[in-house]
Amino acid sequence: MIRIAAVGDVHLGEDARGRLRPALEHLRDHADLLLLAGDLTKHGTLAEARVVAEEFADLPVPVVAVLGNHDHHADVPEEIAGLLTEHGIRVLEGDSTVVQLDGAAVGVAGVKGFGGGFAGKCGSAFGEPEMKAFVRHTEEVAGRLRDALDRIDAPARIALTHYSPVTDTLRGEPLEIYPFLGSYLLAEAIDEGGADLAVHGHAHFGTEHGTTPGGVRVRNVAQPVIRCAYKVYNLHGHDGSEAQPA
Amino acid sequence: MSTKTPQYAAARLTQALASDPRTAELGVRVQLRGEHVYLVGEVASEERRRHLTEVVHELAPELTVHNEVGVVECREPSTAEELD
Repeated sequence: MIRIAAVGDVHLGEDARGRLRPALEHLRDHADLLLLAGDLTKHGTLAEARVVAEEFADLPVPVVAVLGNHDHHADVPEEIAGLLTEHGIRVLEGDSTVVQLDGAAVGVAGVKGFGGGFAGKCGSAFGEPEMKAFVRHTEEVAGRLRDALDRIDAPARIALTHYSPVTDTLRGEPLEIYPFLGSYLLAEAIDEGGADLAVHGHAHFGTEHGTTPGGVRVRNVAQPVIRCAYKVYNLHGHDGSEAQPA
Repeated sequence: MSTKTPQYAAARLTQALASDPRTAELGVRVQLRGEHVYLVGEVASEERRRHLTEVVHELAPELTVHNEVGVVECREPSTAEELD
């Protein structure tokens, strides 16, 4: 069993310094790995990123993150990723990492993702350059997610995004804004890449549980949805200690 | 701010909550009913919750603000979900 803790949309800043840390003190009792599903800051500034870095530094389990749209707002996402990396947080954008655990290994592939909408109700790369750029950006990041999942050499694979791959976990959000909350192209990449679990944030009014069309479990861990410091998912059947189906 | 057309007024307040650096909130709903505005959602701190009222009041002082936004909980989880 692999114990995965996850949270997104913590939106930390100076006014929320230390807000999560007390609940992280016993993290090792609950989980082997912590995933951060983007929107770690409020305005995407380096000052806020320092608060994030200190909040999640020196934890007893590996921490793997993607950035979200808020983390891009001040146009310094690479500097934010660098700062978090200096504090021991692995930041993914179109790449993957394999975490070695006691008797198990789990690979995490991550991208921020982007919008565009869902099958049959989505934008097309047609018309104005702005529209084509919007849709092609999502196509590009979904492609990078699929490639990153493909490259994982571990028995368990997790897809970590900020934007949602499915509409299931958007229930509660207005239908009209679904195209800004995610894209089915992310789900297609998750299914083709053979993920065992997909974790995302972004949809504060959404719901926690969903599945991709290919049957991969999806969890929306935006903090206003999960209403706690992090959620824990125990992923069974990937560490060799449990019987695999024939 | 004119509130004669409530749909436009609600949209302007929503945009203000997103673009004002004090709030930068995309996850707060604004509902306008007559001369009352209701704010719904969750934010990360009490200070941010107060800023929501401030920003809306500055832009639309003629409205009564009902701030129903909560501060998101940060407790340790008590259970785990088993994924077989």
